[in-house]
Amino acid sequence: MSDQSSVEILTEWDIVAARQLGRNVAKELGFGTVDQARITTAISELARNIYLYAGKGRIEIQQLTENGIKGILIIAADSGPGIPDIRKVMEDGFTTSGGLGAGLPGVKRLMDDFKIETILGEGTDIRATKWLR
Amino acid sequence: MAQEIENQYKEILNEYMKKQTEQNLYVGQNFSRQLILENIAPEEVISMHKAAIQELYSELPEVVWHSFDFLIEMMINYGLALQERQSLLKQQEELKVEMDLAANVQETLLKTKLPLLEGLDIGLLSIPARKMNGDYIYFVSDHDGYAGVAVADVIGKGLPAALCMSMIKFGMDSLNSSHALPKDVLSVINRIVEKSVDDSMFVSMFYSNYDAKQARLTYGSAGHEPAILYRAKDNEFSELFAKGLLLGVSPAAVYEEHTVDLEKGDLVIMMTDGVTEGRNEDGFIEREVIFELIERKKDEPAQSIVQYVYDELERMQNAQFQDDFTLVIYKKV
Amino acid sequence: MNIQVDLTESDNILEGFIRGEIDAHTAPVLREKLETYQNHQGLKAELDLSNVNYMDSTGLGVFVAFYKSVNSNGGHVKLKGLSARLKRLFDITGLGDIMDIESVGKGGN
Repeated sequence: MSDQSSVEILTEWDIVAARQLGRNVAKELGFGTVDQARITTAISELARNIYLYAGKGRIEIQQLTENGIKGILIIAADSGPGIPDIRKVMEDGFTTSGGLGAGLPGVKRLMDDFKIETILGEGTDIRATKWLR
Repeated sequence: MAQEIENQYKEILNEYMKKQTEQNLYVGQNFSRQLILENIAPEEVISMHKAAIQELYSELPEVVWHSFDFLIEMMINYGLALQERQSLLKQQEELKVEMDLAANVQETLLKTKLPLLEGLDIGLLSIPARKMNGDYIYFVSDHDGYAGVAVADVIGKGLPAALCMSMIKFGMDSLNSSHALPKDVLSVINRIVEKSVDDSMFVSMFYSNYDAKQARLTYGSAGHEPAILYRAKDNEFSELFAKGLLLGVSPAAVYEEHTVDLEKGDLVIMMTDGVTEGRNEDGFIEREVIFELIERKKDEPAQSIVQYVYDELERMQNAQFQDDFTLVIYKKV
Repeated sequence: MNIQVDLTESDNILEGFIRGEIDAHTAPVLREKLETYQNHQGLKAELDLSNVNYMDSTGLGVFVAFYKSVNSNGGHVKLKGLSARLKRLFDITGLGDIMDIESVGKGGN
């Protein structure tokens, strides 16, 4: 696989490119259709957030192996304004998802591991992992 | 997903494909309930379906499988919405438990004893519209035949209102006097409320003091729904109005006081606006309706009258009280 | 359970029209809109309640809080177009005496 393991997010089209990248890697790793869809949706959500709130950032996809188990790592990084109240954005409810159940809580549900780091004025770094079952 | 579930699904699906009976559909729906209970996501069900069809009808064209892949993508968001809903329901349950606890604390804290006075029959009912009661009743009495009663409506909801009530209770307790005059009681409580609660909280209160020996009622009001006097002799209702500002608005407020002597069969009706502001599809339930209800039962014990008024108003409003309902009736016997 | 709040302010004069019902559900909407102006110095507010067909004590609370705030900043609040039912509510609570209220058709208080 070529080393195009990350996508810059600037326009809405870049979201599609990030999805494509994620799906390719997921397929290569051996994830089934449903998990491919979940991983791609998670990437879509994260890329969309970058596009809407940070203006610019990148999605990086990495392949992992731990204790013989393969997995996919999504890194969503931006140098946007940062998130003022992490607790609030991780809460279920209308403000985060508009009743759609998506948003960051949704990403957390789609993946196995979820980690978020944010610094006000500097940016946000989100890492989500899914393991092959 | 467990192979067993996939096999079961395939079997049920296959039965339907062969016979297409209502029975098959019924079995299918029962199975879907099981799936939901086991948290099988919508997209997983579609995936299961695709796998089953692939096995049963492998000769179908590629486009059919593509269409299923598309559908799987479509369902991911439905799955997320469902999970969010379940999570919110759980949170709601937890909140309910907390509210129950708070309501219990409130009930214990605010318990008050009905006075036993010579020649006075007291009826009382206070029912919140939701969990926490925004109305408050306080009785104080002694062995000399004096009793004071406060009927209050805390304007504001939930915990802040409940805390405000606690402040009022402690204020009343510290006054500790069944002889206390309404205008003094209201003054004191007014200062307490004004000092200790935020700008959007107010309390209306009707306070009366009853002297059983003389059958004399002295009353005052702080912006509260006026009490009603029923004179048995004339068979007429009149308002017991006393001028006074809501508690908590201005520290300098001064309260009027009036007296009325009761005769056998007379009724004094004290309440909050949950009683008088009833509504049904046709509009407001007018006060005259309440008078009528009371008049029908005027010869019965005070508690029966109170219960009757409540039951009738509940019936008229289809059991949908918008506000807390508090009604106290004094009957001179 | 609907409310409509239209507020226009210019030169520290606030004109408002409130329509619908003011109760526990809708009062927060009204409060939020009024809060925008309540800390202005010397505000002259005139709120028209002619099309308010229901108000309970929660609604009252919003007006009193607004009144207290505007007053403490040297301003004045006038409520007009009060129906008989609304006027009674203000009279019973004693607010009719300390606030500037005007019922429908008649003048002043």
